[in-house]
Amino acid sequence: MDLNYLRRLLKLFDESTLTELTIEEEGVTVRLARRFESSNNAPVALPQVMVQPVAPSNLAPTAAPAQEPLPAAAPAPSSARTHTIVSPIVGTFYRAPAPDAEPFVKVGDHVVPGQTLCIVEAMKLMNEIESDVSGTVVKILVENGQPVEYNQPLFEIALD
Amino acid sequence: MFRKVLIANRGEIALRIIRACKELGIKTVAVYSKADETSLHVRFADEAVCIGPPPSKESYLKIPHIIAAAEVTNADAIHPGYGFLAENETFAEICRDHGITFIGPTPEQIAAMGNKSVAKETMRAAGVPVIPGSEGVVSSYKEAAALAREIGYPIMLKAVAGGGGKGMRYVESEAELEQAFITARNEADAAFGNPDVYLEKFLEEPRHIEFQVFGDQHGNVIHLNERECSIQRRHQKLIEEAPSPIMTPELRSKMGEAAKRGAAAVGYVGAGTIEFLVDKYRNFYFMEMNTRIQVEHPVTEQSLGVDLIKEQILVAMGERLSLAEREPALHAIECRINAEDPRHGWRPSPGQITSLHFPGGHGVRIDSHIYQGYTIPPYYDSMIAKLITFAPTRNEAIAKMRRALEEFIIEGIATTIPFHRAMMDNPDFLAGTFDTKYLDTKGWEVLPSP
Repeated sequence: MDLNYLRRLLKLFDESTLTELTIEEEGVTVRLARRFESSNNAPVALPQVMVQPVAPSNLAPTAAPAQEPLPAAAPAPSSARTHTIVSPIVGTFYRAPAPDAEPFVKVGDHVVPGQTLCIVEAMKLMNEIESDVSGTVVKILVENGQPVEYNQPLFEIALD
Repeated sequence: MFRKVLIANRGEIALRIIRACKELGIKTVAVYSKADETSLHVRFADEAVCIGPPPSKESYLKIPHIIAAAEVTNADAIHPGYGFLAENETFAEICRDHGITFIGPTPEQIAAMGNKSVAKETMRAAGVPVIPGSEGVVSSYKEAAALAREIGYPIMLKAVAGGGGKGMRYVESEAELEQAFITARNEADAAFGNPDVYLEKFLEEPRHIEFQVFGDQHGNVIHLNERECSIQRRHQKLIEEAPSPIMTPELRSKMGEAAKRGAAAVGYVGAGTIEFLVDKYRNFYFMEMNTRIQVEHPVTEQSLGVDLIKEQILVAMGERLSLAEREPALHAIECRINAEDPRHGWRPSPGQITSLHFPGGHGVRIDSHIYQGYTIPPYYDSMIAKLITFAPTRNEAIAKMRRALEEFIIEGIATTIPFHRAMMDNPDFLAGTFDTKYLDTKGWEVLPSP
């Protein structure tokens, strides 16, 4: 097995959204698979490579597009236990209660359940999005004024 | 010209609308539930917004999420397709209040035709023949008995808030009437929250023949001929065709003029369908008006060589109707391919399509959102494709349908393809001698169990 070929394959697979890729060529099968862990568990998002010899066959790549629902912007979990806050509605994301006011939270702030993190505005109504966990804001995943869709990840909170 | 249209629907009709928009140079926004992330309409649109979890109530019927999606993408207009919010006057009104054009009729027109008893009265006042029956709600058994004696049995009791074939009761004689009246009211209350019923004469060997109508914002109204939709199972259409095998130019003219009178009476704007029942004596009676584009619109399109979705969009932009009335040019047939097993009680068959080959060639059209490897979600209706054939004569269109069905391979799930193949050899279908009761009474002979 040519290492350079394998390296290129891994890079391509990494940049794609496939969860599984199997290639059979000249008696060798390469299977790449990706497993997404939920953000509360120990994080691993690395491709697994299995190389095994089989009966020779023509080059027959098969790709299985993801059947599982994927988060709209898959967050790379950090090494602590983290929880992702997602948007329950469609609308526009605002970090502060008013254009010239201080943001509700900044990276590094500690938040508690029920604390307002942001506003998602829909149909002229301001909907306050509250934290459901206790922890520290690690990452803010969207920009002020950005449109967000249902289930879009907004904040990463490192749990206490 | 609209710059951007949001399609508030899914599946094959969402694809259909996206395609028409592309041809007009209009940008498209797809909305989708989490169950439809891998759906084709999401891929084909320029932008896509996830609007909720799988259940329709939380996604495709969730008005605030759809309006918000239109706002964050700056869509000028929303096309509602069919089903879901297409005939929801509240949704049409909210679009209007938010400065978003609803591609369809006005909220008032939707409301007027949505109440079956009001719709009937509106048509009667416009001089459209209606099924003899009560003028509005029948409030007592005595009233029902007197009316039934006048009209003659058999009669139907129908829920005012029903529709689509639900909430109906057949009564053969006066002896059955009192009991039927009580149970019909109870059932209507349980199913629709409204116990009111009206009474109609029962028609013998009725055929479901509907007329496509179109109105623009300048007061023009036309009809685009009929569709025959009598092959139905439990009031759900399976096969449609244009023109109807029993139509004559004289009857088409009379029915077409009546349909236009009905649409003009409410100043109708957009695409609509007036459904008639035609009895064995070729008397026709108004049944319902649908204020949306219909599933079976392709047979009208192929019969006349027109694009009804594009016309909807142009009319919504304020253009005058570009289509003109004329006699059918070709005969078109549509078979609805559902993920159901006709050999085992028509049970639904969701799952993954492991192998797919669409038919093709001369005179064949497919409207479908499925692809090889696609998994049909269990949350929505079971129609996965519409197969349409068209040819100069009915027999040739049937021969093409027979040929196309043989080429149509769908593996991994059960489909209604075997049923349609059997129908294309069925002597009654070939002779054109069938009515709306045909499948319910003779269906078991069409496709024998294995």
